[in-house]
Amino acid sequence: MTVVIGFEGSANKIGIGIIRDGEVLSNPRRTYITPPGQGFLPSDTARHHRAFILTVLKEALEQAGLKPADIDCVAYTKGPGMGAPLVTVALVARTVAQLWGKPLLGVNHCIGHIEMGRLITKANNPTVLYVSGGNTQVIAYSERRYRIFGETIDIAVGNCLDRFARVIKISNDPSPGYNIEQMAKKGSQYVELPYTVKGMDVSFSGILSYIEDAAHKMLSSGQCTAEDLCFSLQETLFSMLVEITERAMAHCGSQEVLIVGGVGCNLRLQEMMGVMCKERGAKLFATDERFCIDNGAMIAQAGWEMFRSGQVTELEDSWITQRYRTDEVEVTWRD
Amino acid sequence: MAAAGEANGGTGKLEFSLDVPFPSSRDATIALRSLSPDKEPRKGGISKLITVSGSTLSVRWSADESRILRVSVSSFLDHLSLVMETMEMFGPPVAV
Repeated sequence: MTVVIGFEGSANKIGIGIIRDGEVLSNPRRTYITPPGQGFLPSDTARHHRAFILTVLKEALEQAGLKPADIDCVAYTKGPGMGAPLVTVALVARTVAQLWGKPLLGVNHCIGHIEMGRLITKANNPTVLYVSGGNTQVIAYSERRYRIFGETIDIAVGNCLDRFARVIKISNDPSPGYNIEQMAKKGSQYVELPYTVKGMDVSFSGILSYIEDAAHKMLSSGQCTAEDLCFSLQETLFSMLVEITERAMAHCGSQEVLIVGGVGCNLRLQEMMGVMCKERGAKLFATDERFCIDNGAMIAQAGWEMFRSGQVTELEDSWITQRYRTDEVEVTWRD
Repeated sequence: MAAAGEANGGTGKLEFSLDVPFPSSRDATIALRSLSPDKEPRKGGISKLITVSGSTLSVRWSADESRILRVSVSSFLDHLSLVMETMEMFGPPVAV
């Protein structure tokens, strides 16, 4: 049996999870929620993580019913993400690894999402759509790498949603994306927005500028409601994502799609992807907010795979990095 | 904990040094190894050297501007207190 504890805090969630051979023993998490109209800044987010990380660590051990001696490896997010929050989490991971005499393992956050999605859904070799506040990538595995077939050329899809939420002062509790999703259900009028698929890549910054402008003009004149804009934004963004995912599937001859990342728990995105999959005779795999949204168990799971394949990270090499592409990691645990 | 800031006439740089006592040299070394891997975020204008002697962790900064020095020292103190809290809650270190 191999037990791995995973520390995640690359954005506004601080999570610590424990995995024992594919079983999630615990996975507590806290979210830094900012007032409507405001995003989360690195230093404030790091302060939030510092305030909660030791309590969350205690919870993770207690809920798993484990002592430090039962743990085989300490995994943490090496990157990508915001620098200050990443350092905060890495500091605690390094310290407990030394206190408990356990090996340390730096994990790529994106790989964490993919491996957690594979574990929970049992998808074998899916085309992966990774969509969150910081990342938008279509990924397929080949020859020991998770290869990026398409990605955003500017901001992430979740960042586009979050920033639109800020413009019209939608609550960030539990998350701006969740509240947009609920409001979109009440939208009835489709407001046409730019549709910006560029080959295998997507672009969201122009759509954001356009809808920010439209929001100011159309809401004040009563031409549409905030709900209509939420609906229109989701339909446009998600259509683009489904299009590039389908193209990657056609290219790879894949019959499986796995959606991971925080935006992946949006049921409308899952529904639209499901329609495309059904038309192609393919299977859709997705997870709920426990595992889609950043959490510690996903880092533990990727760490478990890496550790079992013989990897560890020496302390002097355990620096964090804000930029760390999915395809930089050699996948030593898959054929 | 002893700290001192001074403008060094020889190099023209601002220097700052900090000594932190730990219960044992083992604890001081753990803190050193937790705090050392991440380099200063900015490319120039500041350098930081962390060492351990006995059970004391020592840090010495050398910076071009007080503004940069203040940011680095302040962030180091945040990091240090988190490491020390972690050691209090989840230590003492296991025997090796």
